[in-house]
Amino acid sequence: MERSIQKNGLVNLLVLAAAAVVTFALARLGLALGALVASVFMGLGALVALVSWFQMRLEDRERVERLEYDELLRAKSGSSLFEGRDEGGFPARQSREQFEKWFVPGFTVALMAAQGAGAWLLWRWLAQPATLAPLQQPMVTLSMLGLVALILFLLGKFSSTIARLENHRLLRPAATHLLLGAYLAVLAAVGVAGVELFGAPRLDLVVAQALAVLLGIAAVETALGLILEIYRPRVQGRVAQPLYESRLLGLLARPEDVFTTAAHTFDYQFGFKVSDTWAFQFFRKALGWLLLAQLGVLLLSTTLVFIEPGERGLLERWGKPVAARAELAPGLHFKWPFPIDRVHRFHTERVQVFTVGSQPDPDKAKQPVVLWNLAHAKEELLLVANRDRASVDAANRDTGRQTPPVSLLTVSFPVHYTISDLRAFAYHHRDSGRLLQNLATREVIQYLASSDIGDVMARSRQEAADLLQQRIQTAVDAVQPALGVKVNYIGLQEIHPPVSVAGEFQKVVGATQKKQAAILAAEALAIRAQATADANAFKAVAEAEADRTRAEVNAGAGAALFTNQLPAYAAAPSYYVQRAYLQTFAKSVAPVRKYIVVATNTQEVIQFDLQDRLRADLLDVTIPK
Amino acid sequence: MNKNPLSIIVGVVLLAVFIVLLFVFQVRQSEVAIVTRFGAPHRAAAPGPHFRLPWPIEKVYKFDQRIQNFEDKLTEDLTADNNNLLTQVYIGWRITEPQVFFPKFANGSVTEAEKVLEGMLRSAKSAVIGKHALSDFVSAGGGSQFARIEQEMLALMQAQLRANSYGIAVEFLGLKKLGLPESVTQSVFDRMKSEREVLSSRLEAEGNAEAEKIKSRATSEAAKLLANAEREATRIRAQGEAAAAAVLPTFQQNPELANFLLRLNALEASLKERSTLIFDASTPPFDLFRGGSTNLLRK
Repeated sequence: MERSIQKNGLVNLLVLAAAAVVTFALARLGLALGALVASVFMGLGALVALVSWFQMRLEDRERVERLEYDELLRAKSGSSLFEGRDEGGFPARQSREQFEKWFVPGFTVALMAAQGAGAWLLWRWLAQPATLAPLQQPMVTLSMLGLVALILFLLGKFSSTIARLENHRLLRPAATHLLLGAYLAVLAAVGVAGVELFGAPRLDLVVAQALAVLLGIAAVETALGLILEIYRPRVQGRVAQPLYESRLLGLLARPEDVFTTAAHTFDYQFGFKVSDTWAFQFFRKALGWLLLAQLGVLLLSTTLVFIEPGERGLLERWGKPVAARAELAPGLHFKWPFPIDRVHRFHTERVQVFTVGSQPDPDKAKQPVVLWNLAHAKEELLLVANRDRASVDAANRDTGRQTPPVSLLTVSFPVHYTISDLRAFAYHHRDSGRLLQNLATREVIQYLASSDIGDVMARSRQEAADLLQQRIQTAVDAVQPALGVKVNYIGLQEIHPPVSVAGEFQKVVGATQKKQAAILAAEALAIRAQATADANAFKAVAEAEADRTRAEVNAGAGAALFTNQLPAYAAAPSYYVQRAYLQTFAKSVAPVRKYIVVATNTQEVIQFDLQDRLRADLLDVTIPK
Repeated sequence: MNKNPLSIIVGVVLLAVFIVLLFVFQVRQSEVAIVTRFGAPHRAAAPGPHFRLPWPIEKVYKFDQRIQNFEDKLTEDLTADNNNLLTQVYIGWRITEPQVFFPKFANGSVTEAEKVLEGMLRSAKSAVIGKHALSDFVSAGGGSQFARIEQEMLALMQAQLRANSYGIAVEFLGLKKLGLPESVTQSVFDRMKSEREVLSSRLEAEGNAEAEKIKSRATSEAAKLLANAEREATRIRAQGEAAAAAVLPTFQQNPELANFLLRLNALEASLKERSTLIFDASTPPFDLFRGGSTNLLRK
């Protein structure tokens, strides 16, 4: 019997390992994602089976050692040969204890790490778009998965049954993984069948993702088991449950044992009979009823539908719109249960938005300023015509290249729309929103391709937006069958040259300002010159008038004076002349610096320094009186 | 628990739901279905509920019969005037004959159908673009012929689909994107920069020229104004001279005295500014220092 448990353990190990390899091969060859994740579970199950098999061998050796010891005790009864035998005398027991003390926790930690890492890596791999590839030989995969499931199930059931026998508890972890492997193989087969037979192309992926999540949960459960093991009360004589045995996976593998498993778990963890309490027994008896009632309530709940504000629902009976009440307004509605009636909800009031042209860039949305020459969106270049052929030819000559007579612009038009005809929106086009986006994009590029860049840049933005809204609505109305949408708003968010040439456009604006500045400066100069000329002209005329008056007055006065001087001269000509001379001389010479040479020695050379002093000399200082 | 009537009712309902799911399928208003029996197409199913034999005897393939969007890749073609042009086109297509469509595309695979449509679209695009000049696509003043080009592509597509009987129809086609290859785009950027530089230079030159004109005009106007003022001043001074000339005969009564007085005035006027005079002792009244003219002193 003892040899039999080891044999069972070895068979479980080999079958789990073989199932893991076969399932992995099936997954790789058939590109079945669910089968791949199931093979990871089976591989980890094979590791668990290996450890439990090894533990079985150690316990078996310990039993043999105990039997031999008891036999020797009986044979040498009364002898003192073994009386002083210490712990070192039971090497098998010591090996088992060391194994349970060190290796089992270490293996459990490694198992948890493998489960966690496996779940993480699988989840990331499954999230990649390239992972979902068309299945290869799906019928072969289905058949082989069915075969694997059958073998694992039969062996798992057998092992699970004999694991309930006394001293066979170490068979239970492998039995759990055998049964779990069987169910996972069935799930993987359902995923393949869903893709191949039931038109659900993502079912295999969904199954794989669910199994990856389950693997992650198993890792968490293993970690919790490690923590709880520290605080578990040690009851004398009670055999410990293998630390690497998952209760959660056991529950999944043997759902019929849910209460037994739960009871064992509680009893084991708390150290007393939780399973004997009234509440536990009540739930055990009523569980089936509760589950069925829950399912019934779930089915009944499908007869009610709440349409939220801003929504409308399309009610279909057996897939066809219900003639009398095809559209459901917000509020509570009754319908036949699933799968007879189904309701499809649409946000008819919600304004839906898409952007034609350059798309907003979330990374650059925090920039405090939006400038033409700084990238602020995912730039999309649109062609715009260039009417000025002469400038194109001239630029081509300058650059030495032949470029087409087109220019490029960056534009961004947010388009807002709402659903105006729900049935048309839902039944005429598979993706009305996308089609509207295509139509709007077409109108925008057509508008730009038939417009001159100068006109586009100079035209009123609102005028362009209004024109485009009108054209897009006309295009939408012309679609047959109707789209069922209404364009509410088109905003011309931005229209400017591409970032790499925006600087040159800004320079043109700068040049325009320079031109204006030069003209204004010249005008200011002209105004100043005009004013100065006016003033100088006035001054010249005024001075001339003053000269004229002075000449007339002086002439008259001079004549009058001369007329009066004549009698005086006639009376004493010599005296008069001398007096006039000396009066004039004295008056004129008074303020003048004078040198009077009175020396008689005429041979003497007299030198005068007639230079003006730049600075006053000491001798020039006036002494105050 | 097993004798609870509620449980039995719920169990029966669940069983009924399971049987319904197994033997009945429904086709939505937006769909059309093909039912195969042992793999061979057996019948088409319109929207509504339908009976079916369970798998693996019968299998249901559902197709969306609404208009579906398809957009091809941005592809490069050569226009009639040898310009490289990138274009992207969208089409609206639908499955018109599911019985024909189903066997043609690997159990009615829409992906496969779109691959075929992409090939046809590319062929039609290249053919039509090659017949048109770039100005048919991009031209200011109503020169572009979008509608005509799209119609030609659509006609080619429809002709190919009719000829091959794929069970699908293209309802409409539109140009979604026009572009230039990267190297050409860079050349266009360079040309746009050159255009702007020319424009900048022209504007600055125009500004300078206009400023010079304004300044010259102002200088000329000022000179004219001053010249007129000088003329007027001269005229006014001449009037003064004429008036002054009227009294000259008075001085003719004793020209010698008049000239003497005139010199005295001139002497006085000329010594008003800073001057330095060197006299010898013979100059009256400094001859007093020599005593030569001081006969009166001797007396």
